[in-house]
Amino acid sequence: MTSPSRFAERVLTLVVRDPEWRDGVLGDLREEHARLVGRVGPGRARRWHQRQALGIAVRYGTHRLLRRRTPPPRWLAVAAQEPDGTWTAGLTRDVRYAWRSVTHRPGLSAVIVITLALALSANSTIFSLMDALVLRPYRFEGVEHLVIVATRAPTQSFLDPQSVSPADFREWQEQSATIERWAAYDWWSANLSGVDIPEQVPGFRVSPGFFTTLGVALPLGRDFHSDEGQPGRHRRAVLGHDLWVRRFGARADIVGTTVRLDGEPYEVVGIAPAGFQTPLGAQVWSPLALDAKGWADRRVNDLTVIGRLADGATLEQAQLELSTLIDRQRQDHPETNANRMAEVQTFTKGMADPGAAGFMIVWQAAAGLLLLIACANIANLLLARGSERAQEYAVRLALGASRHRLFGQTLLEGLILSLLATALSVPLTAAGLGLSRTAIPAPLLRFVPGWEFLSVDLRLMLMTAVLAAAATLVFALIPALQATHAHVADSLRQGARSVTSSRGRRWMRSALATAQVALALALLFGSGLVLSAAHRATNGAMGFDKQDVLVAQLVLPDRNYSDPTTRRQFITKVLDRMQQIPAVTAAGVTSHIPAGFSNHRRQFWPEGQDLRESEALYADYRRVSSGYFTALKIPLLQGRWADDRDQPTTPAVAVVSQRLADDYWPGQDPLGRRFKVAADGEWITVVGIAGNIVHNWFTHRRDHTVYRPVTQEASYDLAFVVKTVGEPSALASDLRQAVAAADPDEPIASLAPLEVLVDERAGGLAFIANALGVVALIALVLSVMGIYSLMAFVTAQRTQEIGVRMALGAGRWQVIRLTTAHALRITVAGSLIGAALSFVIGQMMQSILSGLVASNLWQLAGLVVVLAAAALAAGYLPARRAARIDPINALRET
Amino acid sequence: MAPIYLGEFEYAVLLAALHLEQAAYAVPIRELIESRTGRPVARGALYTALDRLEGKGCLRSRMGDPTDERGGKARRYFTVSAAGLKALKATHGALANMTRGLETILEQS
Repeated sequence: MTSPSRFAERVLTLVVRDPEWRDGVLGDLREEHARLVGRVGPGRARRWHQRQALGIAVRYGTHRLLRRRTPPPRWLAVAAQEPDGTWTAGLTRDVRYAWRSVTHRPGLSAVIVITLALALSANSTIFSLMDALVLRPYRFEGVEHLVIVATRAPTQSFLDPQSVSPADFREWQEQSATIERWAAYDWWSANLSGVDIPEQVPGFRVSPGFFTTLGVALPLGRDFHSDEGQPGRHRRAVLGHDLWVRRFGARADIVGTTVRLDGEPYEVVGIAPAGFQTPLGAQVWSPLALDAKGWADRRVNDLTVIGRLADGATLEQAQLELSTLIDRQRQDHPETNANRMAEVQTFTKGMADPGAAGFMIVWQAAAGLLLLIACANIANLLLARGSERAQEYAVRLALGASRHRLFGQTLLEGLILSLLATALSVPLTAAGLGLSRTAIPAPLLRFVPGWEFLSVDLRLMLMTAVLAAAATLVFALIPALQATHAHVADSLRQGARSVTSSRGRRWMRSALATAQVALALALLFGSGLVLSAAHRATNGAMGFDKQDVLVAQLVLPDRNYSDPTTRRQFITKVLDRMQQIPAVTAAGVTSHIPAGFSNHRRQFWPEGQDLRESEALYADYRRVSSGYFTALKIPLLQGRWADDRDQPTTPAVAVVSQRLADDYWPGQDPLGRRFKVAADGEWITVVGIAGNIVHNWFTHRRDHTVYRPVTQEASYDLAFVVKTVGEPSALASDLRQAVAAADPDEPIASLAPLEVLVDERAGGLAFIANALGVVALIALVLSVMGIYSLMAFVTAQRTQEIGVRMALGAGRWQVIRLTTAHALRITVAGSLIGAALSFVIGQMMQSILSGLVASNLWQLAGLVVVLAAAALAAGYLPARRAARIDPINALRET
Repeated sequence: MAPIYLGEFEYAVLLAALHLEQAAYAVPIRELIESRTGRPVARGALYTALDRLEGKGCLRSRMGDPTDERGGKARRYFTVSAAGLKALKATHGALANMTRGLETILEQS
C-alpha cells in the first residue's frame, strides 16, 4: 500500500477551501510522500503523511479562521432565501442563523451563558455529592440485594442498626429463607503493636463470611473460615489496604505472617481491596468469636446484621418473614424481647446517617431554586432582547417567513446558549467538587462512605444535560411565544416610532423579576438559618470551656486490662504523671469527650418510679475523675464532686446534670436520690449536680448526663484531658510520655486540642452551611442583576416619553420617581411572596435542625431590608441616568 | 503605499523564493530554509506564511501543470512581487544598519 492517507487528505480538503491552494498543498504532500516511500517504506511514509496533513490542517485552519475575509451576510439575505431548499438545508441555515444572532451580542450572550453555567454547576455539584454520599455510597457487587436487619422498640423513631443480640441473630440465620447469606459485626478498637510506633486502628469483629456476603473479593488472601468464629481459633486478621500500604510497605508476603493486635499474635489471612473501608472506615477485620454462652445472649444487642437476599426474594418478603420470626421470639422470650420489632432496610439506607439525607434534600432544593432564578433572569434578558428584535421579526414575517420557523429559531438560540453553558459548567463542576473535597475535615471523612466516588462522570453529565434542556424550555419558550404572537402591523408601526413596549410583555417581565426577588429572599433566609446553626455549633455556649485543653484518647485492650483494678492503676499512674507537667493546671479523665463522635447512653431508672424496661429513658453515661470537671470548667451547682473518697467498697455515687435533676425530681432536693442504670443493677446515689453541657446540638434540650467516678467504675475508653497554660498542642510529647510511662505498649489513638475536636464535629454542618451560603449569594447577585437589567431596559425604552415629560416641565425627581416606582412595586411584591416562602422554609429547617435554629423574624426583616435596598439601587441607577437626559436629545433619538 | 513589515520567518520565505527563481514551490522552499538555517520548518507554518505573504502582496502565485508524481495535482509556484522585493530590501537594510559596527562581535566563531 503505497498510497497516502485518504482520511488525512479528506480532512485537508475540508479545511483548505480554495481549490488552487488545495491542489498545491495536497500535491506537495503527495510528492514528498512518494519520495519517502522509497526511503523508509510505505507504512512509515503513510504515517508521516497523515501526521503532516493533520498538522497543516490545524495550523492552516486556525490561520484562516482568524482572518475571515468576507463579513457574514445580513439576516435579510437569509430571510429572502427561506422558502427554497430541503428540510436539512433549512435546519443547517437555522442553526447558522441562530449561532449568528447569539454571537451578534457577545456581551449579552456571555452573561446568559455564565449565569446558566453557574446555576447548572451548582446543581451538578450537589447532585454529584448526593449521588456519591447518599444514593450510592456503596458500590459492591450486587449491593442492591444487601439489606440491614435491625430491631427497634415501637416508640423509637430513628433506626439504630447496631441493635441485634447474638442469640436472635443465630436464630434468624437458621430459620430465614428469604435471606441466603448473613453477616454480623461489632466494634473493635485494635491496638497494633510490635511495630515502631504502636497505633490504634479502627477495626471490626465480623462473622466469618463477611466479605463473601458483601460480595467483596479480597485481592490477596481469603475470607475467614467458619471454624475461625470460635474463641481460641479466631486470631486471624484481614488488613485494610491503606493500613497495609502505610505500615507494611504493601508487601505481598504479609499474608501468612503474624501481626500483634491488642498484644496478641494475629495471623494475616487477607488484604482488603483498595477503598474498601466498610463499616465506618474499618482498617482491620477479625472473626467475631463467641462461646456457647455468648451466642445464647439475648440481653446485649450490639451487633449490626447484614443479609443478602436470596434469588428472587424482595425486601418486602424479607421484612414479612423477619417480622414473623421476631414475633415468635417475642413470645418465646418475653423478658428480653418483649419490645423488639423487626426492621429490614436496604444496605445503603440502613448504613446511612439518618440526618444526612434530609440535609442533602434541603441543599438540592436550594440549588434547584437557584436554577429557577437563573432561568427567570435569562428569560428576562431574552425578552428584553426580543422586544429589541420585534421589528426584525415583523419584517421577516412580512417577507413570508412562517411563524413556526421563527418559533423554532428562537428555541434554537436558547438551545445553543444552553449547550455553551453546559460545556462551561463541566469545569466549574469539577472545581466545585474539588472544593468540596478539601472542605470536609479529614477525620469526618471516615464516617462518610462513598467519598471516593465523588467525580465528574457520565451520569453527572447526563443529568446536567437534562437540566440544561429543561432550563432551555423554561427560559426560551416565553420569548419564543411572545415573538411569534406579535402582530406584524403593530410591530412595524411600533418600531417606526417606539413609545413603550406592549403591556403584556412588560407584565410578564415584571412577574419574572418579582419571582426572582421572592426566590432569592427565601434562599437567603434558609441558608442564613443553616449558617447561624453552624456558627452556633462551633461557637455557641456548650457548658464547658474548650480553650487550652489537650485531649489524649485511647482504648485499653480487654486482654491486659480485664481487671478493673489494673485499669484504675493505669489511670492513676497517667494522671499523676500529667499533673507533674509544669504547664498543666488541671488533669482529668473521661470515658467520652463532650461533643465527640462517640457516645454511651444507658437507661435511667429513678427510685420510686415503677418503670418497665421499655419505658425507661436514656441518659448519656460518663465515667470521669474529678479533675475532668476542673479542666473543662464545668460548674458544680450543688453537693460535691465524686472523687477519691468513692471507692469500689463504698456506696455507688454519681454526679448528674442539672437538667436531669430538674426533669426527674422537679422542685425537690436531688441530693441523696437514688437511681439505677440497668434493671438489675445496683442503686446509685446522687451526690452532686453539675452544669448542663451540650454533647449533641440536635438533641441537647432533652439530653441528660450521668457522671460516675472512675474510682468506682473504670472504663476501657479513656480520654485524658489537661488544661494547659498557653498553646495546648505544645504538650503533646509530654502527654505521650505520661502514657508510655504507665504502659509502653499502649498507643494513643488521638491527641488533639479539644477545640479542634469540637470544630471537627461541627465540620460537616459548617461545610453544608458555607456551600448553601455560596448558593444564596449567587442567587442574590442574580436577582439584583435581573432587576437592574429590567429597569435599565424599561427606562431606555421610555427615553422618548421621558424627554416629552421633561420638555413639558417635569423635574428630575419626578422622572426618578416615575421610573423607580416600578422597581418599588416589584420589590414589595417580591418581598411579600418571599417572606411567605421563608416562613415555610423556616418551619422545614426547624424540623431538620431542631435545637439549633429558631425561625427568627428579625433575621427575616433584616434580609428584606438588604434585598429591598439592593433592588431599589438597581432600579435607581437607570432612573438617574434617565433624569439626566437632555430633552432635545431624547426627542431626537429614535 | 504603506511600508510592509516582515517577520523573521516571512523574511526567510521571501529570500528562499528569490533563490529558487522559477522553481519556487512549497517543497523546495521548505528544504532550502531548513538546509540554510539548520532549523526545522513545520509545513503548516510555511503554508500559513505563504498565504499571509500573498495576502500582503509580497508574493504572486501561478499553477503549474499536473504531474504524475504528485498524483495528478498541479504545483503552485510563487514569485516575489515588486512590493515583496521592496519589503525585502527594507528589512535587509534595517538589519544591515543595525549590525554595522558589530561585525567583529557577530562574525567571531
